[in-house]
Amino acid sequence: MLKGLFNIVVKEVKELVRDPKILLPMIIIPLIMFPLMGFAIQTSMEAAEEGIGKISIAVMDLDGGPVAENLRINLTNWNVKIVEIDDPDLTEAFSYVQESNLTGLIVIPSGFSQNITEGKTSELEVYAPFRGGGITESTSSSAVSSLVSLFENNLIDQRINERFPESNSTTVLNPIALSEKSIINGKGVDVNPEVLFGLVISQSTIIPVGIMMLLIFAMQLAATAVASEKEEKTLETLLTLPINRFMILAGKLTGSIIVAVVGAIAYLIGFSYYTSSFTGAIPTDAGVDLAAIGLAPTFLSYLLMGLSLFMALLSALALAISLSVFAEDVRGAQALVGPLSILFVFPMIFTIFTDISALPFPLSVILLAIPFTHPMLAARVSFTGDYLTAIGGILYMTVFTVIVLYIAARLFGTEKILTAKLKFRRFSLRRKK
Amino acid sequence: MSVAVEAKDLVKVFGSVRALDGLSFSIENGEIFGLIGLNGAGKTTALRITSTLLLPTSGTVKVFGRDVVEEASEVRSLISYLPEEAGAYKNLSGNEYLKFMASFRAKNKDAVRELVDVASEISGLGERLRDKVKGYSKGMKRRLLVARALMTKPKLAVLDEPTSGLDVLHSVHVRGIIKRYVKKQGVTVLLSSHNMLEVEYLCDRVALINKGRILATGSPAELKTRYKAVNLEDVFGEVVGFA
Ligand SMILES: Nc1ncnc2c1ncn2[C@@H]1O[C@H](COP(=O)(O)OP(=O)(O)OP(=O)(O)O)[C@@H](O)[C@H]1O
Ligand SMILES: [Mg+2]
Repeated sequence: MLKGLFNIVVKEVKELVRDPKILLPMIIIPLIMFPLMGFAIQTSMEAAEEGIGKISIAVMDLDGGPVAENLRINLTNWNVKIVEIDDPDLTEAFSYVQESNLTGLIVIPSGFSQNITEGKTSELEVYAPFRGGGITESTSSSAVSSLVSLFENNLIDQRINERFPESNSTTVLNPIALSEKSIINGKGVDVNPEVLFGLVISQSTIIPVGIMMLLIFAMQLAATAVASEKEEKTLETLLTLPINRFMILAGKLTGSIIVAVVGAIAYLIGFSYYTSSFTGAIPTDAGVDLAAIGLAPTFLSYLLMGLSLFMALLSALALAISLSVFAEDVRGAQALVGPLSILFVFPMIFTIFTDISALPFPLSVILLAIPFTHPMLAARVSFTGDYLTAIGGILYMTVFTVIVLYIAARLFGTEKILTAKLKFRRFSLRRKK
Repeated sequence: MSVAVEAKDLVKVFGSVRALDGLSFSIENGEIFGLIGLNGAGKTTALRITSTLLLPTSGTVKVFGRDVVEEASEVRSLISYLPEEAGAYKNLSGNEYLKFMASFRAKNKDAVRELVDVASEISGLGERLRDKVKGYSKGMKRRLLVARALMTKPKLAVLDEPTSGLDVLHSVHVRGIIKRYVKKQGVTVLLSSHNMLEVEYLCDRVALINKGRILATGSPAELKTRYKAVNLEDVFGEVVGFA
């Protein structure tokens, strides 16, 4: 009996893996597209960083006073290359800036130094050349204004020191020193809650999205596994073989799970490569030691997450197989299974944006009734410590899977699998007479 | 001689269609038995019920004493079914397909290889068995499937239009194989066909069916004398009443 199951699993995996319709999205996208995307982002970020390293700004000084001179000294101290423009003709200055690839143009109007020294506000014009480039370009153009604000801060310090010689400018500007900390599981922890939220959000978005993709992928596989037997007219032969029909079903489930897991691993590898290619540019985790503050996933939470995901996978596959019994070919099966994506997208959106218990009662009941909500909730168990919800979800999915599998086995066990079909005849365009 | 298949008062209703309407026949062990009839007469339905794929609305079929409904899994281990319209897994090679099918019957690797060798001879596909089924012509696929159905030496082979889609040469080849193989291995065959020549050549006994009922049963020679006809085609016209 087990040998028969093994035969079917091997055949399923071979068939699925050799099908270009399955192989391409499984291998090409995760293993080639993601790294390529990562590479593209990485190179453009590096280019942007290099660009910031050597900012050169054109300065048209129509003032010639001491404050203007001070600005120029400050810029040079900040490693900015200054290109002096003596000709007061703006049009010419513009085309010069654009042609020689400068980061920007600062026009210091006459009277600048006098206004500032008298404690008034003075205008200062900053021009950034528009080159229609990407995001990195906009950061380089805002670099000029940032430098000017830095200089402005120096001026503020200066003014405060002049008016209140006995006080410190920092204390004048910051009467409150705020220190933000968090309470985790009843313990005070010296970590900014913003940082924690950022962490939790990145975890609780990536995981539900990943789970959703894995489940949708697996369902399509399972639906294909049954429907292609019908389409290729191999089902009748298979059903007359001396093997328990439940083993055929189990073989198809196992084959789909294996291929889906391999696909998921390919996605993970590709995706982690993709994210790691630019995490260097973005500060990660802000140096928070999750284990020290009791938020690192424990063995139990890993176990629960894994079990929960496995049960979700099993119930999704059982559902897909039961439905695909009613389809006549692969396209029909995918059309039947396709709308089920709503069962993943719906819980995904809610788990990303809210806490289910905060939702109105009927809505949260609907969400909890969808089995695929549970792995997404279980993924949070290490943050919430709510093991009971995870265990309840696993039990619920087990019951759900057993029922659906029972239905699928019934459909497989009788002639239903050959004769059951949803009739779309009314919509047929090729109707004769 | 013992009875291999015993069908009694088979009725099969699909919605408003009465595909079988009290069909009865019996096949002796080692016999080649043919069902002939017009399109839609109910041949395929009868073969599918015998192969445990469909459930009869009423009536029974016993294969070597086993009921096809109550003891379906025992029946499946005795039979081998060749569907009228069948395919093979297109991403597997011919060899892989035969191995997959053989491994459900064979006890070990050597036995699998033996069955595949037998099938390779029956199919006459030779080197082409290494190619993916995707690239086979209709006739090549049919030969692969016939070989698959016969390689396991089933006690009962149920063949629905075994030579459909084959050219003259290959039809003759396949018929020859069925006849020789069956007589040598003691396999019992239940087949359906439209080709009267084929039926006359292959079958020990035939049943003419129309609208789900048997109109006449007997050996081709008996039927010809009974209806004073030169060939089975004339017999058929006489019985069904279109000649
Ligand atoms: N799954 C089904 N659903 C509905 N009606 C069916 C089904 N299978 C067969 N029938 C009907 O049963 C009748 C007998 O069909 P069957 O396929 O047994 O005929 P057949 O003798 O094999 O014909 P052919 O020579 O064309 O193969 C036909 O009227 C057919 O429309
Ligand atoms: Mg038929």
